[in-house]
Amino acid sequence: MIGGRLRTIWLRVWGWIKPFWTTVWRPSLHFSMGFLTLGGFIAGIIFWGGFNTAMEATNTEAFCTSCHEMNDNVFAELKTTIHYNNRSGVRAVCSDCHVPHNWTDKMGRKMQASKEVWGKIFGSIESREKFLDKRLELAKHEWARLKANDSLECRNCHQYDSMDLTRQSPRAGQIHQQYLGTGQKTCIDCHKGIAHHLPNMKGIPQG
Amino acid sequence: MRGLLIRALLPLVAAASLAACGSKHEETPRKAPSAPVVITNAGQQIDAIRRGVPIDKEASPLPMARVENFDRVRPVNYEMQPPTIPHAIDNYQLTVNTNRCMLCHTRSNAKKFQAPPVSDAHYLTRDGKVLEEISSRRYFCVQCHVVQTDAEPLVANRFEGLNTTLAKEEKQ
Amino acid sequence: MTTRRDFIRASAVGAAASAAGIAVPASFAETATTAAPADVKWSKAPCRFCGTGCGVQVAVQAGRVVATHGDADAEVNRGLNCVKGYFLSKIMYGTDRLTTPLLRKKDGQFSKDGDFEPVSWDEAFDVMAAQFKRVLKAKGGTGIGMAGSGQWTVWEGYAANKLMKAGFRSNHIDPNARHCMASAVTGFMRTFGMDEPMGCYDDFEAADAFVLWGSNMAEMHPILWTRVTDRRLSHDHVKVAVLSTFEHRSFDLADIPIIFKPQTDLAILNYIANHIIQSGKVNEDFVRKHVSFKRGNDDIGYGLRPDNPLELKARNAKDAGGSTPIDFDAFKEFVEPYTLDYAAELSGVEKGFLKHLAELYADPKVKVMSLWTMGFNQHTRGTWANNMVYNIHLLTGKIATPGNSPFSLTGQPSACGTAREVGTFSHRLPADLVVTNPEHRKHAEEIWKLPDGLIVDKVGYHIVEQNRMLKDGKLNAYWVMANNNMQAAANLGNEGYPGYRNPDNFIVVSDPYPTVTAQAADLILPTAMWVEKEGAYGNAERRTQFWHQLVKAPGEARSDLWQLMEFSKRFTTDECWPAELLAANPAYKGKTLFEVLYRNGKVDRFAPGEVEAGYANDEAAAFGFYPQKGLFEEYAEFGRGHGHDLAPFDEYHKARGLRWPVVNGKETRWRYKEGTDPYVKPGSDWQFYGNKDGRAVIWALPYEPPAESPDTDYDLWLATGRVLEHWHSGSMTMRVPELYKAFPSAVVFMNPDDAKARGLKRGDEVKVISRRGEMRSRVETRGRNRVPSGLVFVPWFDAAQLINKTTLDATCPISKQTDFKKCAVKVVMA
Repeated sequence: MIGGRLRTIWLRVWGWIKPFWTTVWRPSLHFSMGFLTLGGFIAGIIFWGGFNTAMEATNTEAFCTSCHEMNDNVFAELKTTIHYNNRSGVRAVCSDCHVPHNWTDKMGRKMQASKEVWGKIFGSIESREKFLDKRLELAKHEWARLKANDSLECRNCHQYDSMDLTRQSPRAGQIHQQYLGTGQKTCIDCHKGIAHHLPNMKGIPQG
Repeated sequence: MRGLLIRALLPLVAAASLAACGSKHEETPRKAPSAPVVITNAGQQIDAIRRGVPIDKEASPLPMARVENFDRVRPVNYEMQPPTIPHAIDNYQLTVNTNRCMLCHTRSNAKKFQAPPVSDAHYLTRDGKVLEEISSRRYFCVQCHVVQTDAEPLVANRFEGLNTTLAKEEKQ
Repeated sequence: MTTRRDFIRASAVGAAASAAGIAVPASFAETATTAAPADVKWSKAPCRFCGTGCGVQVAVQAGRVVATHGDADAEVNRGLNCVKGYFLSKIMYGTDRLTTPLLRKKDGQFSKDGDFEPVSWDEAFDVMAAQFKRVLKAKGGTGIGMAGSGQWTVWEGYAANKLMKAGFRSNHIDPNARHCMASAVTGFMRTFGMDEPMGCYDDFEAADAFVLWGSNMAEMHPILWTRVTDRRLSHDHVKVAVLSTFEHRSFDLADIPIIFKPQTDLAILNYIANHIIQSGKVNEDFVRKHVSFKRGNDDIGYGLRPDNPLELKARNAKDAGGSTPIDFDAFKEFVEPYTLDYAAELSGVEKGFLKHLAELYADPKVKVMSLWTMGFNQHTRGTWANNMVYNIHLLTGKIATPGNSPFSLTGQPSACGTAREVGTFSHRLPADLVVTNPEHRKHAEEIWKLPDGLIVDKVGYHIVEQNRMLKDGKLNAYWVMANNNMQAAANLGNEGYPGYRNPDNFIVVSDPYPTVTAQAADLILPTAMWVEKEGAYGNAERRTQFWHQLVKAPGEARSDLWQLMEFSKRFTTDECWPAELLAANPAYKGKTLFEVLYRNGKVDRFAPGEVEAGYANDEAAAFGFYPQKGLFEEYAEFGRGHGHDLAPFDEYHKARGLRWPVVNGKETRWRYKEGTDPYVKPGSDWQFYGNKDGRAVIWALPYEPPAESPDTDYDLWLATGRVLEHWHSGSMTMRVPELYKAFPSAVVFMNPDDAKARGLKRGDEVKVISRRGEMRSRVETRGRNRVPSGLVFVPWFDAAQLINKTTLDATCPISKQTDFKKCAVKVVMA
């Protein structure tokens, strides 16, 4: 059923694209090879810059929280945590934790995000109730991603080598040395739910 | 007579002097009573919690206290007093979905996290049955265990616990 | 004194644990690892704080309380206490306990302008009696008033009620429970014709769903919350719905979390009733046999001073409690506009949550326990809210059976036992009798062995009105006992403080500690507290609990009971009663109030020797008889045989409390239901015998807006309330270092966005300003309460931050209980 719906949508989208595609696909009749190369190069720069600018725009907090789903749920929850409000004023925005910083991974994540657009269109978490029902599934995606990349987004800011363990509370220092320092555990193993409320954690290891 | 009074109010005098720093912020409340009632002398200030500030005045509130976060178990006043929490618990989620406290304080994890495990009584049901996991009647830890801030008490307390008394006896 | 079953139990576990090689650090084991020394005596007592009524064991050594812990044999809490309860042992030992009366004096004389000086009890009572007599002479009893308490012991409330209503012939006696329970009372009276819950705490273990209507049980009734939590976490099908105007700790257990706009709970209640009807889930048999319908007067005003524009505008301000009988069809039509769409729009709550909530009630298979405290009661439509939740339970017949339980929780240890059952309200007499009913007055006069026509037939000033009347100079001699009303009552700067400092008035405050109220007084009487006297409390489930005097009060501190009875010796009937009345009843002439009220052959009928061996009783020693027992037995006459039966006095010293009516030695758990309530006529199944027709009333009542809402000048809702660590005005808990350090100062809980919009940061000093006054506090954008944008929450425990300078003294016009949950303020940088 979903396949059928996908096909319908693709056919409609192809209907929009087709005229442009056939034009672009035909060999040029009027312009020289050199002009086309140079023009393509300049257009490429403009396109590339524009693309990246647009990509960056989707990384801002304002963009992420422009949907009420994000604003009323996860963003509201973030506001009372240390990742929003703390001693030094260094804080995390959504993309710091949820979007990889290197380009390839970022693109991968952005492709995945198209599914979230899908979710938005079909209202899969349009109410608090629906969001709460779906939170476990959504959280699991993020935990799996962070586990797979060894908590890469945490480590973009929190590097073990730069931690002064003597400035942590004694127990935290010891635990970090024993588990993080030896690579036995990665950040997300123990620090789930640091920025948002947790779903039902029955059966999910937390430490 | 006067001497008696001074002695009775001694702890309050100390508290009152504390309030001097706040007094420069005092001002008359914006809304005066509408009826022409004469407010007579407020008298000397006796409520230590108000730090010497008359009821119809407002002082600067004390600075926001900080939670003590040093991870050392504090002594209890007597047996069966729930120990206070010697560390910060900001954003430790304690909900129907998860219990962050028990991550470290459960029997099986206590050693790993060098945390004191909760006492055995926490594994008893309302009907006295022994459970493997913490009894759900004890689930919300913070109903009995509270953090301590660095705020200095405004009134001292003369309580002496059973433990202290015992210790004294042993010494004698 | 104690079987200490838990010790043995826990020790057994400890042994098992150590056998398994699990180390239990001594400080974390609550088991007694050392045997108590021989000079330590453990005795039972109920907790001093909230209305839950937990049992505690108190250890006394060398005349001092040295430890307390939860009583394993107490049915209410079975060994648990909340953090306040665990530190009970410390509440009596604050260094500033009052140990001698303090009188404002100048040049050796009482002076309203004077400073407090220690005086003897004789001097204190001499001055006080002279002042009371001055007022008696000028105005009679109507110039005398008393603010009492749901913290009075049963006999203290009873003795005070007699002294005021019979002795001084003044009905201006009202407890602080007015701020706390009055809407619950009027709700009960209007629906059932009889006060207090039909169910009991056993419902916690039987319910399938819990709905919290404006109650933060996680912090305010922690031990009952352990029972909800226990039930929810150990039974997968159990659901918890939490409704409030902001998110608090009880939401941590919520399956259905509902944040609604202030006041719109009324619309949600009617929506649920409508949903039940529309979905065909009415229990028709129950409704046909056991329910009648009434339409209540609407547009009833807000209980402000009568000249307030809001009162002048209200059509039914003068007949707020009025009603007309209707039938089911009329009720159905009445609630029909309260659709899901309308309720969602008005309340701002998601439809899904509202629907799930309504379905919990509608589903005949789900046993629902509704719980509420101040969210309902402190509400300008508090009586309505109470009536409307009963509507839902009555439509579905979910009432008075295990787990089906609309349950009003109480905030004070004896709001039920003393304030309500003893009837220390300005309109009440013991056992649900009222001063306006001539038969009731006559009945009371007979039991009290006092002349016919003595009790005044007019309702006295309620506690909010008392402050107004003090300010207006109509009430001139005023005794405040076991409460801190200067801190607790709304609109302090305009309606509280001026009356106390009005030069025409003489204000007496009895308290163990120098509170804000004591500060505002002319005479302060040092008072014994908790186990420094023999006492009795009645908790929220009708459980009456006794304790013995375990230690002596410090210095010259005396119990409220001693103060009341001793003070009564200074008045004669001739000074207090009209000459005609005495002429008709010459036997009473020339007697002291003490003689006619307490030396009446009933109150003084038990000898001091009847006090249980091994316990002191300072009042018995002082008066030469056992007043607690005499007062209790006389009081019990009111209820025995009338559905309020109390057991014989001595039984309560043995049992861990008994739930009334106690008939043939058996307590009653579910009233109004055949089989569990001996008063229900056989064959009637249910019988709501508080009403003459045996039917409970379903009330048609609308949504109406609050008295004051935020606008452009005052743009935020203010809700006030409590925190776990402090109890009410904090006069006890602020003096326990551990509790103080856990939550030392009040703060303004504010939404981070609202703070940002005002340029405020966490910890900033701010002014909270209303049309009535202002106070200074600090911003809290984190912490345990998460408030929605547009609302701030400020706890009122902190005497240094008197939030009641800003609150509005609007009340429910029926119950006269103040709405402390809704008024408009602004918050600006100080």
